[in-house]
Amino acid sequence: METTVAKKIVIKTENIAKTYHESKIPVQALKDVDLEIEEGEFTAIVGPSGSGKTTLLNIIGGLDKPSKGKIIIGDTDISNLKESQLIDFRLHHIGFVFQQYNLIPVLTAKENVEFIMLLQKKSEKEMEERAMKLLKEVGLEDKAKVRPSELSGGQQQRVAVIRALASRPKFILADEPTANLDSASAGNLLDMMARMNREENMTFIFSTHDQRVIDKARRVVTLEDGMIKYDEVR
Amino acid sequence: MLIKIAWRNVWRNKGRSLVVIGSIVVGIWALLFMLGFMNGFTVSYINGAIEHEISHIQIHHPKFKQDYDIAYSIPNGLSLKEALSSDPKVAAISPRSFANGMISSTRKANGVRIYGIIPELEKHVTHHDSLLTAGTYFESKQRNPVIIGNELAEELKVDINSKIVLTFQDEDNNLVAGAFRIAGLIETSSPSINKFTAYVKMEDFNRIAGIGQNIHEIALFLSSPNDEAPLMDKLKKEHPDLLIESWRTIAPELELFLSMTDSFLWVLFGIIMIALIFGIINTMLMAVLERYRELGMLMAIGMNKWRVYMMIVIETVFLSLVGGPLGIIIGLATMNWLGIHGIDLSAYSEGLKAYGYDSILYPSIENNIYIFVTIGVIITALIGALYPAYKAIQLNPTKALHTV
Ligand SMILES: Nc1ncnc2c1ncn2[C@@H]1O[C@H](COP(=O)(O)OP(=O)(O)OP(=O)(O)O)[C@@H](O)[C@H]1O
Ligand SMILES: [Mg+2]
Repeated sequence: METTVAKKIVIKTENIAKTYHESKIPVQALKDVDLEIEEGEFTAIVGPSGSGKTTLLNIIGGLDKPSKGKIIIGDTDISNLKESQLIDFRLHHIGFVFQQYNLIPVLTAKENVEFIMLLQKKSEKEMEERAMKLLKEVGLEDKAKVRPSELSGGQQQRVAVIRALASRPKFILADEPTANLDSASAGNLLDMMARMNREENMTFIFSTHDQRVIDKARRVVTLEDGMIKYDEVR
Repeated sequence: MLIKIAWRNVWRNKGRSLVVIGSIVVGIWALLFMLGFMNGFTVSYINGAIEHEISHIQIHHPKFKQDYDIAYSIPNGLSLKEALSSDPKVAAISPRSFANGMISSTRKANGVRIYGIIPELEKHVTHHDSLLTAGTYFESKQRNPVIIGNELAEELKVDINSKIVLTFQDEDNNLVAGAFRIAGLIETSSPSINKFTAYVKMEDFNRIAGIGQNIHEIALFLSSPNDEAPLMDKLKKEHPDLLIESWRTIAPELELFLSMTDSFLWVLFGIIMIALIFGIINTMLMAVLERYRELGMLMAIGMNKWRVYMMIVIETVFLSLVGGPLGIIIGLATMNWLGIHGIDLSAYSEGLKAYGYDSILYPSIENNIYIFVTIGVIITALIGALYPAYKAIQLNPTKALHTV
């Protein structure tokens, strides 16, 4: 008989909707999205352009507020947090990897990896050890002292991923992390993320258009017109 | 780390930072130069007046200055002079007898202020022996020598050794006259000395006037300008029956000039600082806009507004901290060099001389001005940083990240 250990739910959205009122015609970017993400997931959010992927990730990440509904992260309802509390919440609980402009250009790769830990006021020693360990794991230890402009796009994204990892967030959100990479680098980045997902038991949620990237996900949530159309676990 | 990032950000756009640093340097340099120039102007003007005309302190009979009546001499003037000359604060002292009168040559006559002086004492007070354009300072053995200003000589069409006659009223309002021979001509920065003054020996003057040992004026030249106030207090207390005045009251226009220069310099200071503020705001706003996405990313990953704000402020202060001291060092070096070599204004000196200036100007700045300017620049930078930093924290991270 199979015993299933109840997995911890890290993200739970309840009926969230988002309407943008910036133009004359309001745009309904999300409609009643209910989503639960468990610890350790490696999930892709897919869907055509304009389907609401970025909007959903921004709301889950506390960068944007829903027009309606609740987002519970761990046991905090972040829909009720004030802006300054949200910044702090993001700092301590959520990792981000963006499509580009992830790194601080004037800092070296290692300093970039240490940056969030620094904002979290971790000790010098802990930052140093963790940054070097992670750089080594992704094969960038010899680039530790190099600035982002001297790294390839793929290397920059890897640094961005381990920067997010280093701060030990509850999960990492990545909005089209491979969109600016060639397919080989995109594959490498995804493999690396998958490895971190296993080794560090880090939950990843990423959006993408790239079929080869989608193939590496263990769960694929498909959005269309701001609604979840399919949700398949492989 | 914030400091490290801010410092490196300063050097991120080297060209732009150098332009700002350069403008801070030039601004401060120009400010210091103007301050030094104006200050040098003022100091040289005032010192010129003190050293060659007014001296620091003058003593008269309280009624003497009402109409310069020869009868109002200083009681026991010469013994008072003796007593004062032993005061260590007094570097030089000159007793003078005085009358308003006429000077006439064979060609022309002119109004003139006639001073009877003791040359050996007078030359250490007004230093006219250094301003001779012809002749000597009462050194020849001639009888009745007189020294007049070069412009007066021109007016009278006289030269060295020419004979002139001085006419004035004695104590009983009788006209008395004496024939004098021109021993020397002087050229000072004071038009009134150059055009309307004659110096003769006191013994000659007093003999003709028939006033014995009476004197009308005692001029004191002090060892240090700082001694002026204490000595004035002391003299006023000890001699309540005499009129004791410092150069500030004798020539109130000098004091006015001093305070006008002062306010002018404040205005200049303000203008340069305001120009700097706008330069800094402009640059830092550009730096913020250029880094919009990066700042958005920083706020997205959890850098709070206070830190973002401080990062921009620190960055701005760094800019000014690089430019400020550099400007001050260059300014200091310029001032030191010019303080020694002076600026030769002789090309314009005809015009300047009419206002009493020397033709070589030695710019100078008081030390506290440097500290002042440094603090001014830092405050300016801080003010200049406020708006760009405020702009930075107003941004919305999601929008900033998606602006392309
Ligand atoms: N700030 C905004 N103001 C107004 N409308 C917006 C805004 N952001 C997104 N939208 C609209 O909301 C809808 C969903 O946008 P979203 O960016 O979430 O789509 P997406 O799935 O991420 O698309 P893509 O694949 O192109 O990145 C779109 O119609 C978009 O035009
Ligand atoms: Mg998107």
